[in-house]
Amino acid sequence: MLEKLSQLREEISQALQSPTPEAIENLRVKMLGKKGEITSVLKGLGALEPNERKSAGQAANELRDWAQEQIDTAKVQAQGVLQAQALTTEHIDITLPGKRRGIGRLHPLTQVYGKLEELFISLGFDIVEGPHIETVYHNFDALNTPESHPSRDVTDTFYFNDDYLLRCHTSPMQVRLMEKQKPPIRVVVPGKVFRRDEIDATHTPVFHQMEGLVIDKNIHMGDLRGIMELIASHIFGANMKIRLRPSFFPFTEPSAEVDITCYACNGKTRQDPCRVCKGSGWVELWGCGMVHPKVLENCGIDPAVYSGYAFGLGVDRITSALYGITDPRFYFENDVQFLKQF
Amino acid sequence: MNLPMSWLRDIVNIPDTTPVFVEKSTDAGLKIEGITTTGEEITNVIVGQIKSLSRHPDADKLWVTQTDIGKETVQIITGADNLKEGDYIPVAVHGATLVGGLKIKKSKMRGLESNGMLCSIGELGCTLEDFPYATEEGIYVFPEAHPLGDDAKPIMGLSEEVLDFEILSNRPDTNAVLGIAREVAAMYDKPFALPEITVQENGGGGVSDLVTVEIKDADKCPRYIARVVENIKIAPSPRWMQKRLEAAGLRPVNNIVDITNYVMLEYGQPLHAFDISAVAKKEGKHNIIVRTASAGEKITTLDGVERILNENTLLIADCEKPLAIAGVMGGDNTKVMDSTTAILFESANFDAACIRATSKRLGLRTDASARYEKGLDPNLSAASVNRAMELVNQLACGNVIAGSVDIYPAPRLPEAIPFDPEAINQRLGTKIPPDEIYAYLQRVGIETRRGTTSYEAIIPTHLGTGWGEVDLAEEVARFYGYNRIKSRYAQKIPATLPHQTGMSPRRRRDMAIKQALAGLGYFEALTYPFESPKAADKLLLPADDAARNFVEITNPLGEDFSVMRSLTLGGLLSSLSTNFAKRNDSARLFEMAWEYKSLTEERPRLTLMAYGTDMDYLALKGDIEDLLSAFIGGKYVFTPLVLPYMHPGRTASITHQLHPKREATSLGYLGEVHPQVAANYDIETRVYTAVLDLDALHTLAEGKKLSFTPPPKFPAMVRDLAFTVAEHVTAAEVEAAIRERGGQYLAEVALFDVYQGKQIEAGFKSMAYSLRFVAPDRTLTDEAAQKFLTAIRGNLSQKFNAQLR
Repeated sequence: MLEKLSQLREEISQALQSPTPEAIENLRVKMLGKKGEITSVLKGLGALEPNERKSAGQAANELRDWAQEQIDTAKVQAQGVLQAQALTTEHIDITLPGKRRGIGRLHPLTQVYGKLEELFISLGFDIVEGPHIETVYHNFDALNTPESHPSRDVTDTFYFNDDYLLRCHTSPMQVRLMEKQKPPIRVVVPGKVFRRDEIDATHTPVFHQMEGLVIDKNIHMGDLRGIMELIASHIFGANMKIRLRPSFFPFTEPSAEVDITCYACNGKTRQDPCRVCKGSGWVELWGCGMVHPKVLENCGIDPAVYSGYAFGLGVDRITSALYGITDPRFYFENDVQFLKQF
Repeated sequence: MNLPMSWLRDIVNIPDTTPVFVEKSTDAGLKIEGITTTGEEITNVIVGQIKSLSRHPDADKLWVTQTDIGKETVQIITGADNLKEGDYIPVAVHGATLVGGLKIKKSKMRGLESNGMLCSIGELGCTLEDFPYATEEGIYVFPEAHPLGDDAKPIMGLSEEVLDFEILSNRPDTNAVLGIAREVAAMYDKPFALPEITVQENGGGGVSDLVTVEIKDADKCPRYIARVVENIKIAPSPRWMQKRLEAAGLRPVNNIVDITNYVMLEYGQPLHAFDISAVAKKEGKHNIIVRTASAGEKITTLDGVERILNENTLLIADCEKPLAIAGVMGGDNTKVMDSTTAILFESANFDAACIRATSKRLGLRTDASARYEKGLDPNLSAASVNRAMELVNQLACGNVIAGSVDIYPAPRLPEAIPFDPEAINQRLGTKIPPDEIYAYLQRVGIETRRGTTSYEAIIPTHLGTGWGEVDLAEEVARFYGYNRIKSRYAQKIPATLPHQTGMSPRRRRDMAIKQALAGLGYFEALTYPFESPKAADKLLLPADDAARNFVEITNPLGEDFSVMRSLTLGGLLSSLSTNFAKRNDSARLFEMAWEYKSLTEERPRLTLMAYGTDMDYLALKGDIEDLLSAFIGGKYVFTPLVLPYMHPGRTASITHQLHPKREATSLGYLGEVHPQVAANYDIETRVYTAVLDLDALHTLAEGKKLSFTPPPKFPAMVRDLAFTVAEHVTAAEVEAAIRERGGQYLAEVALFDVYQGKQIEAGFKSMAYSLRFVAPDRTLTDEAAQKFLTAIRGNLSQKFNAQLR
C-alpha cells in the first residue's frame, strides 16, 4: 500500500516537471477525480486490516493534501507562464490614432460672453436679452440722441421704415428695462448689434455687445471706474491697466471710452509703432458713462433721486484682444479649422 | 479733422513734443486718431542746380548733366526734356529712398556714370494737385532759388506732421483749427482769444449801397452777412495756403475759393463766394433773398447737376432766380470764374435740421453741409467773413468794399444755467473744492456767478445750447482727470435674491444645450441674420411660400444682405459650403438664431447642419434623441414630412408626447437637405439638418417633472428576438406591437440589426431586437420571460405575418 502511495507521489512529481494547464487538469482528474487513483486508494482503505488502516490512511490523506497543493501551485504557475507569454505577444502600436467621436466647441464669442456672465452673476446682475428689430424710439429718441447725431444716418444704421430699425447697440434695452422695472436695477444685456459698415479686415456689419446698466441711489463715477477695473482684470488679468478717456454718447454724461494697455506690445514699443495700438500703447475697448438724466426722465425715473451708470462692452473686440485674432470675419465664416482652436 | 501740427503751433503755444501732446490731448478728451508724416519714406533728396546740360553721346533720349549739390558737383543722367542750365531741382543722391521704397544707387547708363536721380513730382509722392503748375512728365523745377544741398522735403511741404483729431458730435466747434486751439489752450490752462482781425477797406463805396438782403424765413436762417470785394484778380493761392489746405484734405483751386476754404478750416464757418454780376438787381441794388423753394423749383448746382427742390429746401435767391441751395452747394449761374471781377461773400447761419434734411434728400453732402448740419454758432459769422477780407488784403486779390450787410434779428446770447458744485462732486464721486470747479469751467470759457438761488454757469455760444449740470460735470471731470477719480467697488447686497438673479433658467438651459451639442461633436456657428432674397430660390421655395415674405431692409449693404432671414438654413448652408470648399472632410455646426417673421416677431430656432462620412439620417436622429431625452425626456414621434428644401423620403417631423392621452407638441423637423439645395450652395455631398423650435423646447423642458425612480435592484433578463417581415413595416410599428404584449416587466426594446439581402426573400427584411425584462422585486426566471416572448411572437405573426428565425 505504502509502496503504491510513493509510486503515485513519484508520478505526480514527474508530471508536474513542466506541465501545461491541460496536463495539470488531466493529472488532477487522474489522481483526485471521483475515480482518481488517490481517491480510489482512500475509498479502498476500509478493506484494510485495522492496524494497517491507520498508517495507510494517514499516508493516503497526506498524499492527497500534498497532491492538491502541488496541483494548485502548478496551475497558478502555469497560468502565470501563459499570461506572461500572452503579454509579450499582445503588444500593440500605442501611437496609433485613437477612435474619436470628436468633441465640438462653443463659439469663441459665446465663451467670452460666458466668462463675462460669470463675473456679472457674481456681482448680482441680471442677464436679459432684447429684440434685434427695434423701434427708432427705443434705439435713439428715448436715449436722448439728437437728430443730428451721425448714428441716425442711413449710412450708419439699417432701417426698415421710419419707425423700425436694426438696433445699432444694446442700449435700447436700457429703456425697455427702465420702463418696466423701477430702481434698483443691475442688469447686463448680451446680444447682436448691427451697423452699416462694409465688411473688411476691421469691420463686420454684425457684432456683439454686452450692455450694462446700474441705477440706484447715490451711484457715482467712482462706481463706474470700479466696475470697469473689475471687468478688465477679470478678462485680461490683474496686471492689465485701464484708462478712462473723455468721450461723447448722447445717453451718458459724463461719457468715457475705456482703453486697456495694448495687449500686443504692453504699451512699450513707442519707437517702432505697434501694429495693434499704432504706437499709442492703448487699445480702445468699449464706451461707458453716467446715465443722462434725460434718459431717466424719459423712462419715468426721477433723476433727482436716482443716478446710475451704463456701459457697452464690445465682445468681438475683447475676444480679438484676448486671442490676438486679427480679422473679425473669422467669427462668421464658421470654418471648423478656426472654431476647433477654442 | 486733419490738421498740420505746425498750423496748430502757430496759433497756440504747445510746450510739449508732438507724442507727449498727443497723449495729453487724448486724455483730456481731444483724441488724436492718427499721426501721419508726409513724405516719411523719402530720404536723401536735396536741392541741386543744373550747371551744364548735354546730349548723351550714345543715346538720343538721354541728357548728361553736371549738377551742383552743394558740397560737390556730380554727373547725373536724365531722360527729361524740360531742364535748362541754372534750374534748381530736387536730387535723389546715391543712397536715397523714394516713394515705394525705391533705392537710388550710382549706376552706368549707356556707358556713362550717373550719381543719382533728378526727381519728378511723382517720384516724390506728389501729384499735379499738389503742384498745379509743375509739369507732370518732367523734373520738378523749384520756382525760386534755395541753398544747394538743403533737404528738399520741407521746401516741398513733405515733412509735415499731420494729426487726425476725432470730432465728437456734441462739439462741432472743434471741427476747426481755432476750436482745437481753444481746447488745447484749456488743456494747458492758458488763456485763449480769437486772433484780432484788421481789414483794410480799400474798395469804392459801401456794401449797403450795393446789396440788400432779405430773410423770409428767420427760423431757417438766423443770420446772413454779405460783404463785397471788387477788382478781383483770380490767381493761384500762395504755396503756404495750398499746403495747409492739402494737409487738411482740401484741393487748392484759386485764391478766392481757397480763402473761403481756409477760413472754413480756421473758424468752422462755411463761406460762399457769388459772382455778383450774376445776382439780379432790384431798385439798383443786388438783391439777396433767403427763402424756401417752391415745389418743383429747379437749380443747376456748381457740379453741373440740375436739382429739383421742394418746399423744405432753403434757397439763396435774387428777385429772379435761385442762386444757391443754402448751406449745401452754390449754383452754376453765380460761380466764380477767371473772368469774375466782383464777388459777394456770404457768411450765414442756417438751421441744422433744415440743412441735414436737404442734404439727405438730395443725396448731396458737402464740406459746408456737413458743418451746418451739426449746428453752428451764429456769432462766428462776422469774424469769419472779416477774416476772409483780411486774407483778400493779404493775398492782394481784390479791393474790399467798406461795411457789410448783416441781418441778425435775434442774436444768440450766452445761456445761464443753475448748478450746484456739490451735485457735481456727487456725480463724480469726488471732493473737488468749489473754487477748483469754477477754475476748470473757466478754462473752456464758462464763467460762474452766484445767481438768485444757486450758482449759475454762463455757457458761451460757441459751446452750443442745451447745457445742463451733468455737462458741466463732464467738463470738470476731464480737466480734473478721469483717471484721478477713485474707484469704488460694489458693496451693496444685490437688489434681488440670488435665485432670482443672474441667468434666467432659459438662458442657463441654452448654455447647457450648447455644451451638450459640443459634447456630441457639433461646433457652434454664428451667421449674419440678413441674407439675399435669392436664398428663397436656392431653398426651392414655391412662389407662394410664406417664407418668401421677408422683412426687408431699406438701406442694405447690397442685395446679398438685404432681407432678414425667414428660415435659419441659409446661413449655416453657406457656412457648410465654406467648410466643403476648404476640403474639411466633415463639419457639424449648430446655431441658436432667429427667424424674422415680421417687424415684431422673432422666433428662436436651434439649427443643426452637418455633412461627413460619419453623418447620416440615423446619426443625426440619434443626436437629436440624445439631446431631447436629456433636456425633456418622454416620448418622441417621428412622422414623414415633406418640405420644399428637404429630401422627400428622408425627412421627419418631431413631436413630443409626454403621455398618450396628452396633446402632442411639435418640436421641429430633421432629415436630409434636398440634394438640389445642397448643390445650390455648392456642397457636393449629402447634408443633414435639424431645426428645433427653441420656444417649444424650453416650454417642455420647464414642464419636465423632476422625480426619482430607484434603479432596479435585480438583474435584468435579456432575450433576443429575430424575424422577417415585409419591408414596408416600420420600426415604430414593430416596436409598438412588441410593447403591446411585452408585459409589465418589459423595460427596453432595442433594435440592433436590420438586414436585407442574401438569404432573405426579396421584399422582406430581417429585424433583430434585444428585449430587456426587469422585475422590481425578484430576479425573473427564464420561464417568466419565455411567457412574454411567446405572447410577443404571436402578436408579431398575427399583425405582420412575421416569420420567426
